[in-house]
Amino acid sequence: MPILQTDNLMMTYRVGKVDVHALRGVNLNVEKGEFVSIMGHSGSGKSTLLHILGGLLKPTGGKVIVDGEDLAAVSDAQRTDIRRRKIGFVFQRFNLFPTLTAEGNLKLAEHVHGTSGNAELRREVLRLLKLENKMKHKPLELSGGEQQRVAIARAVINRPAIILADEPTGNLDSENSEIVLQMLVQLNRDIGQTIVMITHNPEAAEIANRKVLMRDGQIVSN
Amino acid sequence: MDSLILANIRQRPTRTLVSVVGVALGVVLILVNTGLVRGMLNDRMKREKGVGGEIRFLRPGSGVLTTSSLPLDVRYADRLKQIEGVKEVSPIGAYIQGGGTGIGLEAVEGIEFDSYSAMSGLRIIEGRIFQNDNEVIVDDFKAAKSKAKIGNEIDVFGKKLKVVGIYSPPSGARIKMSLTAMQNYLASTNKCTMIMVKCVTPEKQEEIQKRINETLPGNTVQLIRDLPSFERAIPGIDGFIKTILVLSTIVSSLVILLAMYTTITERTREIGILKSLGASKRFIISVIEKEAITISLIGVSVGLIAAFLIGWVIGATTTLQVEFQFSWIAIATLIGLAAGIGGAFYPAVRAANQDAVKALSYE
Ligand SMILES: Nc1ncnc2c1ncn2[C@@H]1O[C@H](COP(=O)(O)OP(=O)(O)O)[C@@H](O)[C@H]1O
Ligand SMILES: [Mg+2]
Repeated sequence: MPILQTDNLMMTYRVGKVDVHALRGVNLNVEKGEFVSIMGHSGSGKSTLLHILGGLLKPTGGKVIVDGEDLAAVSDAQRTDIRRRKIGFVFQRFNLFPTLTAEGNLKLAEHVHGTSGNAELRREVLRLLKLENKMKHKPLELSGGEQQRVAIARAVINRPAIILADEPTGNLDSENSEIVLQMLVQLNRDIGQTIVMITHNPEAAEIANRKVLMRDGQIVSN
Repeated sequence: MDSLILANIRQRPTRTLVSVVGVALGVVLILVNTGLVRGMLNDRMKREKGVGGEIRFLRPGSGVLTTSSLPLDVRYADRLKQIEGVKEVSPIGAYIQGGGTGIGLEAVEGIEFDSYSAMSGLRIIEGRIFQNDNEVIVDDFKAAKSKAKIGNEIDVFGKKLKVVGIYSPPSGARIKMSLTAMQNYLASTNKCTMIMVKCVTPEKQEEIQKRINETLPGNTVQLIRDLPSFERAIPGIDGFIKTILVLSTIVSSLVILLAMYTTITERTREIGILKSLGASKRFIISVIEKEAITISLIGVSVGLIAAFLIGWVIGATTTLQVEFQFSWIAIATLIGLAAGIGGAFYPAVRAANQDAVKALSYE
């Protein structure tokens, strides 16, 4: 059984009196250990899909089954709880807590997750992401590439079922993009982390096991 | 999470300072005011007992704090003296005027020096006893803490009366004149406010109280040791203290509410991040509440220290005493904390209910 499965997923935003059909029946399966990239023009519904997959939004129709639990059928509080246990987000804008050090950001994620952290996994993650010497720094003292690596570490530190990344290299230069992408590949390969990544960059999409293309709220190639 | 809360508190030092001052102000208001009331009552009590009698004899319905004329005939003194078990009696005239410090009231007593000093052990430690209607004596405490020194004039009955002597130990009112002088000023010949009675055997005071009531019915006969509850019934004090409590609760809550409200708007995106990490509403509320509680605790501590300092300064520079009571310290602390928790609740719930996706894209 796939770790992620959507069935005829629909999302309609209501703006005033106008309905915006952001997703029009999305069927997507992701197997455990896969690295899937999603491409598509701006406005094609990629972020909306990712937000629904991570339980930040409730779809207006269809099913989203994450690791056996249907996100579309549960309450807001339960969706939040599933997100806490199963999802790690990585955003284009890094979204680290500016007042906390890199270490503080990781600890906060562990605290929200409700674990005191697995020391061995943490060492492994920091080694893979080459962050061992950056732990005492605050986000503003780090480069963009380093900040995104901290954000990835934060997403992976609780071993979520799936990491959802929305244009993780969108704010990085090509050199740092390359480093960050390689690290995602490593996490996928070395610890078997399942990743779904939105990207605009065809080269970035190439590194994934599978490419998915979206257009007008639907998957057009898979 | 603790580091997140501390980081947030440090992030906005001015906001934190203003909130701390707000909470501290509430604590100071409560403690200094209740401490002043307590100090005034206790001080009066102590001096009341210092007069040395066990019983006081008054006209019915006339308290010490409500008198401005002399209602009691001095000749009662002789009749009291004849009652079995009564050792000494001393008639006293009491007059209340606006306090010299501008706060509260100040009492002046007219005494018969001989009977009074025999009962209380009062003696002149500097200068001399009053000899005419324009002279007064004051106790050593007042002489030390105010301008009432020998040779100076003080205002009594709207007149300038001269301080000619300092007595000790303090008992009854701090300013004393001859009873005859007071009778003249108040146009009440042979009258006084009350008569203090000292018993041969203090243990038998209740028995003697009964005997006085039987011999001279229709008067008020009070045991000095029962006075605290009597004195506490100062009209308006209860309402005053309640007003202070309500006021400080409102001030502290509003300050915390405003501080936390601006904070959560500023941190909208961080709340979105917490949500993306899977933080529940309860978690987000608790982060904000813990921050507010921490600020309140600092505010309460600052308030306690400030109140003690203010109490000390008042005690050192005026004739007023501020006496802190554990129960009021506890109440002030609880109000400070409750204000923090209550004031932060609305902002916290608002933050927790924000839409995650919108919060994440907040600039
Ligand atoms: N909160 C929203 N309210 C209304 N319309 C929205 C909202 N978010 C996205 N949309 C619309 O939904 C469509 C898909 O948006 P999005 O998922 O952000 O696409 P992408 O990430 O591929 O650029 C767009 O037409 C967009 O304008
Ligand atoms: Mg997008």
